[in-house]
Amino acid sequence: MRIGIDIGGTFTDFVTFEEEKGTFQTYKVLSTPENPSQAIFNGLAELAPIEPPYIIHGSTIATNALLERKGARTALFSTKGFRDVIAIGRQIRSKLYDFFAHRPDPLVPEELRFEVDERVDHRGNVLISLEEDTLHDLCEQLRGLNVESVAICLLFSFANPVHEKTITRVLRESGFLVSPSCEVLPEFREYERASTTVINAYVSPVVDRYLHALEERLEAADFHMMQSNGGSIRSSQARKEAVRSILSGPAGGVVGAFHVGKLAGYEYVIGFDMGGTSTDVSLCDGEIRITKEAEIDHFPIRIPMIDIHTVGSGGGSIAFVDAGGALRVGPQSACADPGPVCYGLGGIEPTVTDANLVLGRLMPEFFLEGRMLLNRQAADDALEALAEQTGILADADLSSAQRAALGVIEVVNTHMERALRVISVERGHDPRDFTLVSFGGAGGLHAAQLARALGIPRVLVPPTASTLSALGMLTADVIKDYVQTVMLAGATPIEELKQLMAPLVDQGLRELQREGVSKDRITLHRELDMRYEGQGYELAVPLTADFAQAFHASHRKIYGHSAPDSPIEIVNVRLRAIGSVPSPSFPRAPLGSDDAEEASLGRRPFVQMDGAMSPRPFYQGERLKPGHTFRGPAIVVYKDTTVYLPMGDRARVDEYFNLIIEIQPNTNLSLRENDDQS
Amino acid sequence: MIKADPIRLEVFKHLFASVAEEMGMVLRRTGYSPNIKERRDYSCAIFDEKGRMIAQAAHIPVHLGSMPLSVAAGIEAFDFSPGDVVILNDPYKGGTHLPDITLITPVFIDHEGEQDLLGFTANRAHHSDVGGMTPGSMPLSNELYQEGIIIPPLKLVERGVVNQALLDLVLANVRTSGEREGDIRAQIAANQRGVSRMRELVNRYGRQQVEAYMGWLLEYAERMTRRLIAGIPDGTYRYQDFMDDDGLDPESAKIVVEINIRGDEAIIDFTGTSAQRRGSINAVYAITLSATQYVFRTLIGMDIPSNSGCLAPIKVFAPEGSLVNARSPAAVAGGNVETSQRIVDVLLGALAQACPERVPAASQGTMNNITIGGWDSERDRPFAYYETVGGGMGACPGMDGTDAIHTHMTNTMNTPIEALEYAYPFQVRRYEIRRGSGGEGKFRGGNGILREIRFMEKSRVTILSDRRRFAPYGLAGGEPGLSGKNILIKDGEEIELPGKVSCEVEAGDVISIQTPGGGGFGDKRNRS
Repeated sequence: MRIGIDIGGTFTDFVTFEEEKGTFQTYKVLSTPENPSQAIFNGLAELAPIEPPYIIHGSTIATNALLERKGARTALFSTKGFRDVIAIGRQIRSKLYDFFAHRPDPLVPEELRFEVDERVDHRGNVLISLEEDTLHDLCEQLRGLNVESVAICLLFSFANPVHEKTITRVLRESGFLVSPSCEVLPEFREYERASTTVINAYVSPVVDRYLHALEERLEAADFHMMQSNGGSIRSSQARKEAVRSILSGPAGGVVGAFHVGKLAGYEYVIGFDMGGTSTDVSLCDGEIRITKEAEIDHFPIRIPMIDIHTVGSGGGSIAFVDAGGALRVGPQSACADPGPVCYGLGGIEPTVTDANLVLGRLMPEFFLEGRMLLNRQAADDALEALAEQTGILADADLSSAQRAALGVIEVVNTHMERALRVISVERGHDPRDFTLVSFGGAGGLHAAQLARALGIPRVLVPPTASTLSALGMLTADVIKDYVQTVMLAGATPIEELKQLMAPLVDQGLRELQREGVSKDRITLHRELDMRYEGQGYELAVPLTADFAQAFHASHRKIYGHSAPDSPIEIVNVRLRAIGSVPSPSFPRAPLGSDDAEEASLGRRPFVQMDGAMSPRPFYQGERLKPGHTFRGPAIVVYKDTTVYLPMGDRARVDEYFNLIIEIQPNTNLSLRENDDQS
Repeated sequence: MIKADPIRLEVFKHLFASVAEEMGMVLRRTGYSPNIKERRDYSCAIFDEKGRMIAQAAHIPVHLGSMPLSVAAGIEAFDFSPGDVVILNDPYKGGTHLPDITLITPVFIDHEGEQDLLGFTANRAHHSDVGGMTPGSMPLSNELYQEGIIIPPLKLVERGVVNQALLDLVLANVRTSGEREGDIRAQIAANQRGVSRMRELVNRYGRQQVEAYMGWLLEYAERMTRRLIAGIPDGTYRYQDFMDDDGLDPESAKIVVEINIRGDEAIIDFTGTSAQRRGSINAVYAITLSATQYVFRTLIGMDIPSNSGCLAPIKVFAPEGSLVNARSPAAVAGGNVETSQRIVDVLLGALAQACPERVPAASQGTMNNITIGGWDSERDRPFAYYETVGGGMGACPGMDGTDAIHTHMTNTMNTPIEALEYAYPFQVRRYEIRRGSGGEGKFRGGNGILREIRFMEKSRVTILSDRRRFAPYGLAGGEPGLSGKNILIKDGEEIELPGKVSCEVEAGDVISIQTPGGGGFGDKRNRS
């Protein structure tokens, strides 16, 4: 049995798949934030698998250790003269207009940053040799300072790792946990490499302890971790490369969204995951988009990660009126505690969820399967107070609270629309080519309106919307990424490049086999990071005989121009080794009658986006069957999410039980503009 | 519609900002030079029909108040037709310094077959060379003509047709013409994207509403600024500070400000400031406006649109022919990067007397511009390298200043050492926090940076830096930060160089740049 487990803030989600029977189920247990693994034990106890399961698991343990500064006491070794590289960073401030913006302190404080007298140049020549004798004193010092973990990042160690290797050996012999940059990320740019290496050293002991505890209790299970690149690795490996599992939860969601989209016939997918405090958006254009420039809490992480853009708006975002009289939403959030006003847990400021309730778009008795009683009156009062402060008045059809609620939705949708533009239009993609896959608890109420605003023709809400991350983990391949900076002229013969790639290939094959992947399931993607001489950014192109042409073409496609006569440089060789995993088959049924009456919950009044209010149909999502169709305005209520279908949109249920909403084109909005080039 | 809807006000704020940001994305994506793609030295903005700025993407503060003057210069020079694009860089006609080239495109809306002007999109990018006496066009000059090609407002594109003669003339006057042409075309595309997006908004919301909210957002920003000023006690606040010298003559130059707060309005008067100088530290009026808007924009402490409304309650008097409102043809290359910082320092120094709880002590007050050029015999080619070095930020009331960072009017990145040594014949020996350089105080000023470069070839080094004599001030009893130093190490001997210098160095020589620390805040005896 394979099990995907996603530990979230409120719930820990399980998705199981039995290969022989082809059956498939999802369920949730309450999370246990003080000891996150407890929720896993609770869930597995409920499940009681007969044989030891194959578990793929995503957790925020590494992310939280970083964000809450609860990682290991970490030391850093650098080249003499450069111990402050991690403190100076790129010398820029994150907020232009804020005297009081605080730059986060480096994860390694000054007293734990050590310098060694050595220097290697850009060709890998040793200019100053490292004296091994000097290291033993340093080891003693480290002990005295109670250091748990050590990062090493020497200048140009990717060109010649000899000194880093010596230090690593000496420290490991002395019993220290060591993260050398030549192992974590042999790639140029000293600050980004040091930052990545330090984060690895900082979170690895925490992840190691956590996984150790899990493995001890679940001895027989075959345990795997989700990584931020969208693949999984065995936990024995994950604990050494903890930096790679940061953001593993959101990565699972993107893999899941792409998977359900593909099954339904849509390979171009924008993932929209709206939760309580934030919203993650991502994009797949036939493949999941990866970035090599991710940042967490302003610290760069240069390993390949799924490109996820996050904004601080969600169902719990708080609405208020600012000093200039504008109605604003977020970034403050009521989170889960006290939560929106309607939870009745002490929240007094109106949130997006309160607004949806006041508009009648949520069915209080169905919210989270009735586990959470919603207080509509309290939400009404809070929005009425907001209306009063803002000067919003009742009109013939709507109360002032309802009109304020419509405003809150309009404003929060503007934030979301901006986020969706960043991931699509600003990355050079046309939203009209995509399907918006909505998941996460709060997304369904906003997805159709957002799709309309951006010209996205269709929304897909999978039946597993609220457990899509766990499902994504279940379907994730085993993926390993490798890089080596080479810095060569563009005219370098391909044979030489293949030779430079060879050690990466050996390592990739070896490590994938260690993951239990059989040879016939392995594919290797060889890439070169290239640029025009003098540029400060690189593009990846596949390593083929005509890689130079491929670079010019790719540059033209992405940046709109190329310079085939200009000299080019090969900066890095890269390898992605993928071990494909058999995909679970999803519950499926042939299309039947189009009449959705059997799922009807009757008609109830709710406020539509144009302000009209009249009784409209509500459906229960779990009772919808393949083939059913209906038109908006309507509301579909699922166990843990609700979908709003505006006027004019048409919904159908496909054979995988996905709700597919075809968006009526906005006749008022002409997006066909071809004058960009004029 | 007679009154702004608080909901739509917020919605349009985001919509306009997102247009400006999307323009920036197009510029970065299609631009050629690292200056645009990596250092991101550019700004994009949208304007109403009268040339008032409605939204500017958060890019470079020194462009804030100066972009509207570019558009005003364009409007004054021409009647716009659909498909036109105006180009300019003349500091005395809407520009700031010559490397900053601005492009302006009108937004026309089809109205029953007629083309109506709705507003403008504009962007400004720092080009890495516009000709003149040294590569990089940031020379120690004594008149504007030495700094590069001067482009008054001209139609680069007229009704959709590029004026090839003009473009050829510009390109013939710069060192790297291919890169320049690529960057200029990217600037055209960025404005065009803004035009498309503005038309999209008109289709979605109707012209009347879009125009109305342009006006209401100006009023909104003005309201916020007025509230800020109303919260500052009425009174007259004065401050003065100095530029070390202009790089040609040794005398210092004084910047004097008097801020009069009356209710919710401020009058800012620079009378008493030194006359413009022979060297290139002169600032045109646009820079003085930018610095003023930056200071008030930041004091508001809330996320408001960067638009012309912010300046409505503020009057700025800068005597013509002075350092803060130079007259043609004074040299201005350094006014934009160095003097702009000192204008911020004097404004904050004056406001600190009025609202001490909100104003930090002086930050490093310079950008430490360094240009290194010569012949690279190993790679067999000429080389030219430009960068700016961060320093200490002034301590805030309640918070130590940040170490080693760019402050106030700039925010451009450093070049990684491992990138630099691949490309140029020099090695970085040290790159450290300059410990002890931040001013002592209850809250300590941020420390500067120490960067040492060893040359492998005979090279020419040009440094344009300040705060080598006059240190960044402390506040409320805090001590000043340590002033900066430029040192040449030759055969083990240390030679102190001036703040603004151009000199030959030999292989084996080392230059040590030590940037100023920020001032401290409060008495150091109260430090906990």
